[in-house]
Amino acid sequence: MRALCWNGVNDLRVETVADPEILNPSDVILKVRLSTTCGSDLHLIDGLIPTMRAGDVLGHEFMGEIVDVGAAVTKVAKGDRVVVPSFISCGRCWYCQHDLYSLCDTSHPKPELQEPLLGYPTAGIYAYSHAFGGYAGAHAQYVRVPFANTDCFKVPDGVSDETALFISDAAPTGFMGADFCDIQPGDVIAVWGCGGVGLMAQQSAMVLGAERVIAIDRYPERLAQAEAFGAIPLDYTKVDVVEALRELTGGRGPDACIDAVGMEAGGTGLQQAYDRVKQALYMETDRGTALRQAMLAVRKGGILSILGVYGVMDKFPLGLLMNKGVTVRTAQQHGQAYVPRLLDHAQRGELTPASLATHRFSLEDAPKGYDMFKHKEDGCLRAVFAP
Amino acid sequence: MSHAKAKAEAEPEAGVDTATTASMTVGKPIAEVRSLWLEPDTQSRIWSHFATVRALDDGTAEWTVPGLTGGEYRWRTATVDEAPDRLRWSTHDGADVPNAGVLTFRPAPGDRGTELHLAVRFDPPGGVVGQALAKLFHVAPREIVRTALYRFRALALTGEIPTTDPQPAARHGGTDR
Repeated sequence: MRALCWNGVNDLRVETVADPEILNPSDVILKVRLSTTCGSDLHLIDGLIPTMRAGDVLGHEFMGEIVDVGAAVTKVAKGDRVVVPSFISCGRCWYCQHDLYSLCDTSHPKPELQEPLLGYPTAGIYAYSHAFGGYAGAHAQYVRVPFANTDCFKVPDGVSDETALFISDAAPTGFMGADFCDIQPGDVIAVWGCGGVGLMAQQSAMVLGAERVIAIDRYPERLAQAEAFGAIPLDYTKVDVVEALRELTGGRGPDACIDAVGMEAGGTGLQQAYDRVKQALYMETDRGTALRQAMLAVRKGGILSILGVYGVMDKFPLGLLMNKGVTVRTAQQHGQAYVPRLLDHAQRGELTPASLATHRFSLEDAPKGYDMFKHKEDGCLRAVFAP
Repeated sequence: MSHAKAKAEAEPEAGVDTATTASMTVGKPIAEVRSLWLEPDTQSRIWSHFATVRALDDGTAEWTVPGLTGGEYRWRTATVDEAPDRLRWSTHDGADVPNAGVLTFRPAPGDRGTELHLAVRFDPPGGVVGQALAKLFHVAPREIVRTALYRFRALALTGEIPTTDPQPAARHGGTDR
């Protein structure tokens, strides 16, 4: 089959690779209908995440049709159109049974690789380096999906492929970030980042009853998309974000702040220059401008919900959190806990994940798609690939 | 027997790096976990990163471990069903690398199932001690036992052991190695 392979820093190629096979009884093989780029892939492409190997197939956000099933698969069948969360979860361990699916105890094939980094292994994830399981990704004609009884969700008729696609990752990640905010009547939620996850977090905060949602980014087309569904846009290159948030909340500060940016945050000023220099020298990997702002802006006793992907950050202003009594909630997405209700919200039009699909490519043109996505050319929010 | 005592018994007199312990909690009752451990097929599956384990008719098991510098090491083990909460095994005479293990089962608090506490000790031949053991095998003792317990937990909870081999990749003959 054809697949998009990582060959090194900024070196992606579509190559011919072996077809996936059923390896365990609860596996299925999916014929990929659509897959998409994710901002976190840029960390792999830019070489910020170790333990990638030349030849790895990329892509962790996808949907498709089941074409083969293992002997233990009972809840889905050949021909089903399904969406699959990006973290692989068994559904049987203590973590899965407590809706902490991305912390699954059993799906990581090489836990001994990850244990030294994190203390305990997380769930395996598609195409996110060997430290995170080394599972082949879905920018391909076919992908193997383990634990299909837990991880494959049938897409109802009337929900389009493009809507279902983002319910694989961007929508559940964003929704989880809003869920973390424990939104009460009157709450104001500020979201850093208007990429796929940020926009979904903003919509989700509205669905969950936020009084007001503030969207922070620098790209006019992304801010316009947030404004279109009712968020208040803030361009961080034009205003002092912390001051503007204070103003918009009558001096209280947002009740909760969501960081949907992560380690490659853009920014301005000295802190940004300092972060960038250290990153370039491999003295640290993360810039964290968005996170620093969110920590300062959040109201006393508020919630900081971190969805951005981070590695190592030094000079972390922990005292801000301590002295302000801030609750930090964070996780990789526990998608399996949210997918069914997200499909319902999408069917009712309360969430519009398909609006993230701004550019479409064939799988053969996936490197071009990533290039466009990375440089945000032509207002590219997400590039979608069809094999 | 206390865990400390089991560990002490499994440790050699010198060269602590030849002995290792690992603990893991499996969300199943002790009887079920213990019975799965004793199935011959389980042993061959959970140690496969380290050894080929073949169950023999007399209840013993034959272990074959590839050496790091070529050749292989062989030994035979017998498991003693010592107590409802404890299993112990050791190698027969003539083992290339004599070794012994103790596995203790303890109830985990609340609804968390069973704690497994595993202690394994190797007695390498020819005075090889410490880190040198890692030079005999392609995997270090700590990793030998931890990986086995991770695999065992996955098997106990899901009936399968997670794997990515073989899978699509543009290198290494289609595997991800």
